Amino acid sequence: MTAIIEVENLTKRYGSKRGITDVSFQVEEGEVFGFLGPNGAGKTTTIRTLMALLKADGGTARIAGMDCWDKSVEIKRLVGYLPGELSLDPGLTGGQILEYFGHLRGGVDQAYLKGLIERLELDPTRKFRQYSSGNKRKIGLIQAFMHRPRLLILDEPTNGLDPLNQQEFTRMVAEARGEGRTVFLSSHIMSEVEQTCERVGIIREGRLARVGGVTELKDIKRHEITLTFAGGAPADAFKTLPGVEKVEALADGHTLRLTVSGGQDAIVKTAAQYPVVSLTSHEPSLEEIFLRYYEGDGLAVKEAQHVAQ
Amino acid sequence: MWLSNVYLKTLRDYRIAILGWGVGMGLLVYATLSIFPSLGLTAKNEAQISQLIREFSWLAEGIKIYTPGGYVTYKVGFTILLIAIWPLLVGARMLRGEEERGSMDALLSLPASRSRVALEKLAAMWTALLGMGLLIGLLTYGGGVSVNADFSLGDALLYGLNLTLICGVFGSIALFISQFTEDRGAAAGVTGGLLALFITLDMVHRVFPEAEWLSRLSPVYYYNLSKPLITSYGANPGAMLVMLALSVLLSGVAVWIFTWRDIGGLATLLPAWLRLPERAARPEAALPVNDWSLRSIYARSLSVILLPTFWWALGFVLFSAWMVVIVRQIESSLASFAANSPFIKGFVTSLGGGDAVTNATFLSAMFAFLPLLLMAYAVTQASRWSSDEENGRHELVLATPQSRLTLLLARFAALTTGTVAISVLTLAATEIAAAVSGFALDGGHVAAATLSLIPMGLLVAALGYLFSGWVGTVIDTGLLSFLLVIWFFISYIGPDLKWPEWAQRLSAFYYYGTPLLHGLPVGDTLLVIAVGAVALALAMMRFVRKDIAV
Repeated sequence: MTAIIEVENLTKRYGSKRGITDVSFQVEEGEVFGFLGPNGAGKTTTIRTLMALLKADGGTARIAGMDCWDKSVEIKRLVGYLPGELSLDPGLTGGQILEYFGHLRGGVDQAYLKGLIERLELDPTRKFRQYSSGNKRKIGLIQAFMHRPRLLILDEPTNGLDPLNQQEFTRMVAEARGEGRTVFLSSHIMSEVEQTCERVGIIREGRLARVGGVTELKDIKRHEITLTFAGGAPADAFKTLPGVEKVEALADGHTLRLTVSGGQDAIVKTAAQYPVVSLTSHEPSLEEIFLRYYEGDGLAVKEAQHVAQ
Repeated sequence: MWLSNVYLKTLRDYRIAILGWGVGMGLLVYATLSIFPSLGLTAKNEAQISQLIREFSWLAEGIKIYTPGGYVTYKVGFTILLIAIWPLLVGARMLRGEEERGSMDALLSLPASRSRVALEKLAAMWTALLGMGLLIGLLTYGGGVSVNADFSLGDALLYGLNLTLICGVFGSIALFISQFTEDRGAAAGVTGGLLALFITLDMVHRVFPEAEWLSRLSPVYYYNLSKPLITSYGANPGAMLVMLALSVLLSGVAVWIFTWRDIGGLATLLPAWLRLPERAARPEAALPVNDWSLRSIYARSLSVILLPTFWWALGFVLFSAWMVVIVRQIESSLASFAANSPFIKGFVTSLGGGDAVTNATFLSAMFAFLPLLLMAYAVTQASRWSSDEENGRHELVLATPQSRLTLLLARFAALTTGTVAISVLTLAATEIAAAVSGFALDGGHVAAATLSLIPMGLLVAALGYLFSGWVGTVIDTGLLSFLLVIWFFISYIGPDLKWPEWAQRLSAFYYYGTPLLHGLPVGDTLLVIAVGAVALALAMMRFVRKDIAV
């Protein structure tokens, strides 16, 4: 596979305020890449720099081997872009907006366009100012997909969409990938990324904290086991077991919550020595991994909790 | 403290406007008064000039023009009503602007009623207008003291108050109209048109006294009933009350409508059974739209400015045709006055800017307003460019395979088309009005006077595009308006104050010259074109390098 997006030491500052610093990653052609981070982490700055809306202060950004700034027009022939905040002429109808952008792209397949409108259940006869935020988002998504671009760059694409349309969006992304197209999407919704992406980059305070496959990120997972006993909870019996990182006795006096890494054999065997009422274990979501990733940093934890909400 | 309630927050937003408009217009009056002693107007030559003033009475009523108060009232005339542009912009955006931005939702989520929010904003506008009126009054008094005028501080403050009241009327009209328009621009545009219409309506009764009933329909008529700077004439409390009552009525109805209509929606006063049924649009038939205006950035930009350009063009056409008709009416009497009196000849020349008393001299004086008006049009269009960038409207266009240069040049080309259309229509209207009224004008000079407006408008537009490379819409529009006011000030006052030529060359109006009298000043016009081209080139260089909407 070849990289369609290559970002190396990309830096953008807003005067004295932080933008992004030394961000480096690659997105392979045909993959779905998620760009995760809390609000203000630098996701939109990175995307707007890729789209040549911002001029980088340092580093390079290339799409399909072309410099994002020098070859922006050529690049935009390959790209479908959905901005984080959509600002369009409020007096135009959805249909007029889509036709206008279709013309600016040199024409689009009308049948495909109508198909997208039907799939997302958009009424194109209404004026942009009359649309709800979800319907405005649909206009943005349709104009990004309508010319079947080789690369889709989507900034928080499901913001404001209802669950049904979120599912439809997930199917559209899967179809795009099936056709060999690349999707680069930013989000702060972990489940969305977990569902749609193969690889993930986590950005924090303007710096890329980690890049890896969704499964790879889950490898740093911990299991959370909740044990409820008929009698008192024997917390001390579990504290020294291999792999147990944390034991928390809940207020009811009967329940223990264990955070465990690695195998769980010793825990099950120890628990069996007591009258167990219930035992539940769950794999952490990407959300919880993300929260954990920020653990130990007061501000970061606060940010991460915001993200998780 | 300034952010503790809606009233104070809004007033804080107006602080620069209060100073700018108050001091700017106050200085205009001050400077006009300071010229007075150099004119040599005395009661002795009143008889000589009274007939002349009567002929110009359609423009402004000349009463005791040989006194400082009478002279300034006459000379400033309706020019000072330029200040009404501010309240009409504020009235249009007071509620509708907040709704457009979406900030009204947040404002109304506070524990305050809709009427309270609206009234606090309205109170802030009136406070600002009173502040401007006070500054103008104080500067007028200062100017009067410097030339030993006979009006008192109270008279000067009443002059400021009269201005405040007429401004309040136009702010209230804009606020009222904005309840029925989808955006603030439409409300401001219609109110701007009404301002021009009302000024013209007020002129009617001075030309056709039997049509005074028509002039009474104009709020400007009631403004002109008070002349506090002419001590023997004084203020007219009844007329002032009419303006106040009109403001209260229009604002009151606007606030009442605002309390029950949908936020972001339009008010309709018709009962449901009288309204046209909404046509059910068929989504499946919505595409393709096949609209010419959606085919390119240029076409889209042109369609956006089509409606405002139409209203501006209509204003230009009516103004130029009206001027031709008026000058045709008074030309013979003016020529005989001028032939009989060197003093009047000189006086007319100072008003008209020409060096000969001809038909074209009088018309030239009136045409001197045209570059100012076209530049004002260019300011509104240039501010649309910067506000579109500020609001993120360029983002998706630039996500298509269109270069930044294409975007900027397509927008500028649409503006150029509008400017050319206005100038050509003005040329046509002037020629037709001259032909119909039998007014002899040099066709080449008329063409020069109207078509040389184009580079003037484009110069301002290019500067607006250039400034927007660094500053936001508010400052961009402010800078351009400031330039216009300064240029107008230099050209309006400079010659009377015998300023050196280099100082007068600082004004763009200097380069427009008097083409109706002397033909196209080729060198000066080329200079304007060159400066405009440089400004546009710099704007392009900046736009292709800058961060978008940061």
